[in-house]
Amino acid sequence: MTTRRPNLLASLIAWPLVLIIAFPLAWMLLTSIKPAAELFTRTPQWLPRSITFEHYTRVLTETPFLQYFGNSMILAISTTVLVILVSVLGAYSLVRFRYRGRETLAALVLFTYLLPSVVLISPLYLMLVKVGLANTLASLVAAYMSFALPYALWLLRSFMAGIPEDLESAAMVDGASRMGAFVDVVLPQALPGIISTALFTFILAWNEYLYALVLVNSDEARPLTTGVMNMLISAFNIEWSLLMAASVMMSIPLVILFAFFQRYLTSSFGAGGVKG
Amino acid sequence: MPDAAAARPPGAGALERRDALLGMALIAPTILVLGAVIVYPLLSAIYLSFFSIYTPTLEGHFVGLANYRDLLGSGGFWSALVTTAIWTVGTLTLQILVGVGMALLLHQNILFRSLARGLVLFPYFLSTVVAVLVWRWLFNDLYGILNQMLMNAGIIAAPVNWLGAMPNAMLSIMVVGAWKFFPFVVIAVLARLQTIPESLYEAARIDGAGPVSRFFDVTLPQLRDVLTIVILLRTVWDFKEFDLIYLMTGGGPVNGTRTLPLIVYNQAFGLNQMGMAAAYAVSMMLVMLVFMLAYLRRANARSEADSAA
Repeated sequence: MTTRRPNLLASLIAWPLVLIIAFPLAWMLLTSIKPAAELFTRTPQWLPRSITFEHYTRVLTETPFLQYFGNSMILAISTTVLVILVSVLGAYSLVRFRYRGRETLAALVLFTYLLPSVVLISPLYLMLVKVGLANTLASLVAAYMSFALPYALWLLRSFMAGIPEDLESAAMVDGASRMGAFVDVVLPQALPGIISTALFTFILAWNEYLYALVLVNSDEARPLTTGVMNMLISAFNIEWSLLMAASVMMSIPLVILFAFFQRYLTSSFGAGGVKG
Repeated sequence: MPDAAAARPPGAGALERRDALLGMALIAPTILVLGAVIVYPLLSAIYLSFFSIYTPTLEGHFVGLANYRDLLGSGGFWSALVTTAIWTVGTLTLQILVGVGMALLLHQNILFRSLARGLVLFPYFLSTVVAVLVWRWLFNDLYGILNQMLMNAGIIAAPVNWLGAMPNAMLSIMVVGAWKFFPFVVIAVLARLQTIPESLYEAARIDGAGPVSRFFDVTLPQLRDVLTIVILLRTVWDFKEFDLIYLMTGGGPVNGTRTLPLIVYNQAFGLNQMGMAAAYAVSMMLVMLVFMLAYLRRANARSEADSAA
């Protein structure tokens, strides 16, 4: 363990396990590029004999996939922007200011972070019907705030608590106002935390299923999760190659985020998810 | 935590009050949103649970505690509670075992380590919908690769019905849950492993401890805190899991995998009994409260220890 030499024994144990874990995703990819004829054979065909993208073009042209994709994008981006705006200010207030009820509020945030969605779903449904937002993307943004905001606050709170207070005090001694110090000193320091929080919020919103199932029943506002699932449920005979192609495409934004920002995504576990 | 205001001379009370006002202004949007989308719905969930409401018309009347009486008297709640407990314990055990094992391996200097880490962590970030579609295709009884592989290897003679029979369905969703959520354990444990001082292992080695006793005497005690928190968090999250079970089995076969969140959904939007659904939701939350409070206590103890340090 003290040497920097690759540990061959551990590699020999680890890699087969890693490949088993990655297998379902590899199989998804392989299924999506196999001609339909190769799918239903008695002996499994590991690698496709010929590669086809017909399933992808069919998903894009014969299903409302692109509409769902657009809806999911709008939904995830709006949720992320709103949540970050509210939670950056809120977390800063929870970390740096003293006022009555602050501790209670912090505990409440943590409590709501653990709250099950199914408890809130009926009242939220009633509320959104009453204010006339049912069946719109706006209703989903509102509902997504219920899990994304406590999560973002909790994450950002622990990131901001790690920023030394001296920096702010120094800026204020130099004549900066409290908010000036916040913008010039705290925000740049908190940027990695804000990036992780934004990424996580985007992923949570992109992947959400239950609220989308309950609050939306028209294609105009349906995101990918319920949209793609509808393709499975409504089909007479299930076309697995189509579903796998759709699955691959709806995962592409996540793969991109993951590939570029893996460091940010894993760092926030230490800060918010686990450390508390 | 020392406040910047505390360092100022005593005459700065007005400034501190102004700061407190600014602090409250900054938290105001948070309070507004949390109030609208969490506190109000939560309170109305409790309120609704005393009514009998027909979902499509939203008409209802007060029934007092009747919903709770019916719920506790019916077998449905108790059997769903047992099912939820079985699912939670089963999938969580798998997550912890695979997660800790994988973290220990990934902590070693293995070949292509960052690629291995990426592959292992990715299922956690994947949509549950995608995970479910992929696994339902793997589990497909006629053309699924799992049955084909097992039959070719001579392990089974006929295709196994993975999702339509018990206990297969429960075991299958436990495996899918473990696959989807074990990376959370890996990330948490891996982060902790990197902070264990090498000197502890050196000392153990000098004392003649082998790899196995080094794991039990050095590594495991160091992981105790992080594992407690991970187990509490994942208990809460697995207990309330809806998407994965609903989409894998819909609660079937019969009611074999029908956990409490599925009942709440079914009562509200399948049977159209919104009041009863609220009663189920509140009861479920009361059960979860034990774990939530345990986690809150842990988290508070941690943050106090952190700010003291």
